[in-house]
Amino acid sequence: MKLEILYPETGNLFGDSSNVKYLRLCLPEAEVIQTGLKDEPSFIKDDIDFIYMGPMTEKNQERAIKKLAVYTDELAEQIDKGTHFLFTGNSFEILGKYIKTDEGELPALGILDMYSERRMSKRHNSLFLGEFKDMKITAFNSRFSHTYPSAELTGFAKVLRGVGLNESCPYEGICRNNFIGTYLLGPILILNPHFTVHLLRSLGSDCVPAFWEEALAAYEKRLAEFQDRKVSLD
Amino acid sequence: MRFIIALWLARAVQLLLKILGKKATYFAGKVAITLCPDFLGRIGKPDKIIGVTGTNGKTTVNNLLTDALERLGVSVISNRYGSNINAGIATALISGSTLTGKPKKELAVLELDERSARLIYPYIKPDYLIITNLFRDSMRRNAHPEYISGLLTKHIPKDTKLIINADDLLAVSTAPENDRVYFGIEKLDGEPPERNSIVCDIQICPKCDAMLVYDFRRYNHIGRAHCPDCDFASPRPGYMVSRIDFENKKAKITEGENLYDYKLSSTLIYNVYNIIAVIATLRQLGYEHEVIARTLEDVHIVQSRFRQDVIKGKTLSAIMAKGLNAVACSRSFDYVGTEPGKKAVILMLDDVFDEKHSSENIAWLYDADFEFLNTPDIVQIITVGKRSPDSLLRLLIAGVEKEKITAVSSEAEAVDAVDLQSCDKIYILYELYRYDRAVMTRDRISRRIEAETEEAGQ
Repeated sequence: MKLEILYPETGNLFGDSSNVKYLRLCLPEAEVIQTGLKDEPSFIKDDIDFIYMGPMTEKNQERAIKKLAVYTDELAEQIDKGTHFLFTGNSFEILGKYIKTDEGELPALGILDMYSERRMSKRHNSLFLGEFKDMKITAFNSRFSHTYPSAELTGFAKVLRGVGLNESCPYEGICRNNFIGTYLLGPILILNPHFTVHLLRSLGSDCVPAFWEEALAAYEKRLAEFQDRKVSLD
Repeated sequence: MRFIIALWLARAVQLLLKILGKKATYFAGKVAITLCPDFLGRIGKPDKIIGVTGTNGKTTVNNLLTDALERLGVSVISNRYGSNINAGIATALISGSTLTGKPKKELAVLELDERSARLIYPYIKPDYLIITNLFRDSMRRNAHPEYISGLLTKHIPKDTKLIINADDLLAVSTAPENDRVYFGIEKLDGEPPERNSIVCDIQICPKCDAMLVYDFRRYNHIGRAHCPDCDFASPRPGYMVSRIDFENKKAKITEGENLYDYKLSSTLIYNVYNIIAVIATLRQLGYEHEVIARTLEDVHIVQSRFRQDVIKGKTLSAIMAKGLNAVACSRSFDYVGTEPGKKAVILMLDDVFDEKHSSENIAWLYDADFEFLNTPDIVQIITVGKRSPDSLLRLLIAGVEKEKITAVSSEAEAVDAVDLQSCDKIYILYELYRYDRAVMTRDRISRRIEAETEEAGQ
C-alpha cells in the first residue's frame, strides 16, 4: 500500500502530523511517500492508495495552490477514479474555485464547485460533534475561513453540535467518491477510532488500529462530553 | 476631562480592590479603557519604554529586567504582577503615575501580549522591544506563529528598536524594516546537531521556497539555518552565549571580539535565552558587562516556575509546563528526560478553564514531544485529570511502555500512585494555573517520603 503525504513541511499545523504517524503504526508495511513543495507529486506517475494533506498557514496555502495548479487535471482525475483522500483543516479549500481574502480573490484549483471566505480578523474556534455513516465524529475546529459549497456537493459529516462548512451549513466537510475534505483538524484518526477502522477497511486493510482499547476509551469519554448539552462546544 | 474622570475612577477601583485584599492588576485598567478608549495614549509614560513580547519567556525576561534595573538604581514601572494585555498595561501605568496622570518613574518595562499588538502599539511606543521567540501556542488564541509574526510586523511602531532572538528565524523575519540587534546561543560543546522535535515552524525559505538547511537545530525551529538557493540565513548575534559551564553555572558571552564572564542563575537552555535577552537589553541601555554581570548575580528566576527540594535523599521538583503550549511542555519533557537518575513524572497539564466549562481541544498534545519522556530511566509516568485517557494514549503513541503509565483523575490519587521505591527523583509538571494544586501535590508527596522513610528507619 502506498500513502502519499503532500507538503508535510508546511501542512502540519495543530498536531495533524500525528495522523500520518498513527497510520504508520496501523499499517507498518505501507510505503509512506513524503512529497515536498519542490517535488513532483508521486500520484502523477505512480499508483497511490491514499493522499493526505494537513492544515497550513495562509502563506503556505498560497504556496500549495501555486504548486498544485500545475497538476490540477491529474488531481481531479485521482478524485474521479476513486483514490482515497483525506485533506484536513484549511487544506481542502485549495480544491475550490477561489478563496476570498482580505486582500481580494485568490484563485484556487477549481476542482470542486465551492469557494471559501477568509477573514483574518475573525477566528472561529469550536468543538465538533457530527455523524458520518452512523459513526459519531468528535473533533476540533480552528480557522479563519468558512466554505460555501454548491448544492451539488455532498457533505462529509452531518452537524450534530458545532459548526459545519459555514455557520448555516448543516454538514461539515466535502465528500466526492473517496475524497474527504474537512475543516476538522488535529489527530482526527486517533480521536475517532471507528472512522479510522472505516478508512483502513476502505483501503483494504483488516488490521485493528494501534492501541485500540485506549483509543476507544478516550473516544467514548470525549463523545459523552460532546453529547452532554451542559458542556459548551464554543 | 473624560481622561481625568477615567483615571480617578480607575484609581478609586484600585484602592477599593486593595482594601478588599484583591489583586488589582487588571480591572482598574479595564475601567479606565472602557470610560476613555484611548486612555493608554493619554496617560503619561516614562521617558523610556522597554517592551517584552514573544510566545515563551516574556514573564521571566520582564521580571529579570525589572529586578536588574531596580538594582541598578533606576525607578521602574512594570506590569510584573499583572496582566500583559491593554488593561493590565493601563493598570501598571496608573500605578506609576501622579493624580493628574504624569509619570512618576524613569522607565517602564512592560510585558506585552503578542496577540494584543493591534490594541497596544497605537498607544505604547517602546524604545526597545525584546522578541523572545515565536512558537505555536494555544491555537484558539494565537492561531499559528506566522500569524503572530504578521500581527507584530503590522503593528510594531517603525521607530522601535528590536532586540531579537537570532536563533528563531520566525522572530528574525518579524518587522524586517525595524532597526534591530540580535542575541543568541552558539552551538555548545557536546550539543547534538539536532533535537528531533515534532514541530519545526520554519522549514521553507520565506524568500524562495527552498527547503532550509539547519546547520544545527537546538529544538523546534530554534537553531541556525541557511537557504541553499539564496542569501536567507540566520543572522550572527551581536550578543552571544559562546560557552556554558553547566556544573559551575557560568557562561562566556561574546560581544564583538571580546569575551565576558557571567554567572547564570539557571542553566536551563530556555532560561539562558532569557538571561542573554536581558544582557543584550542592558547593553543597549549603555551598562558595561562587568556591571551587568555583578547585578545579575543578585537577581533570580521566580520560584513559582521551577522549584526543587531534596527530601530524605529524594529530589522533588515542580516545574511549570504551560498547557496548550506544545513547545513549553516539550522543553520541560526534554529536561526531565535527560536528567540523570531513576525518575517518576506526574503530568498535570489539563487546561483549567476547559476542565470546568468545556472539553479541551487536545490537538496540542500531538505537537508536544512526549517522546522525550520515553527513556529507560523514567520508570513511572502518572497522568492526572479529566484528560488522562488522552495523555495515556499520547504516551503510548510516543512509545512509552504501558506498564509505566498510570492514569488517574485526581491529584490525591497521583500522590498515592507514586512508586517511591523505584525512583530517586520525582517531577511534577504542572499547567500554569495549577500552581496551587502542584504545591499541594508536592507537599503531600514530601510528607509521604518523610513518613515512609521514618517507618523504614523504625
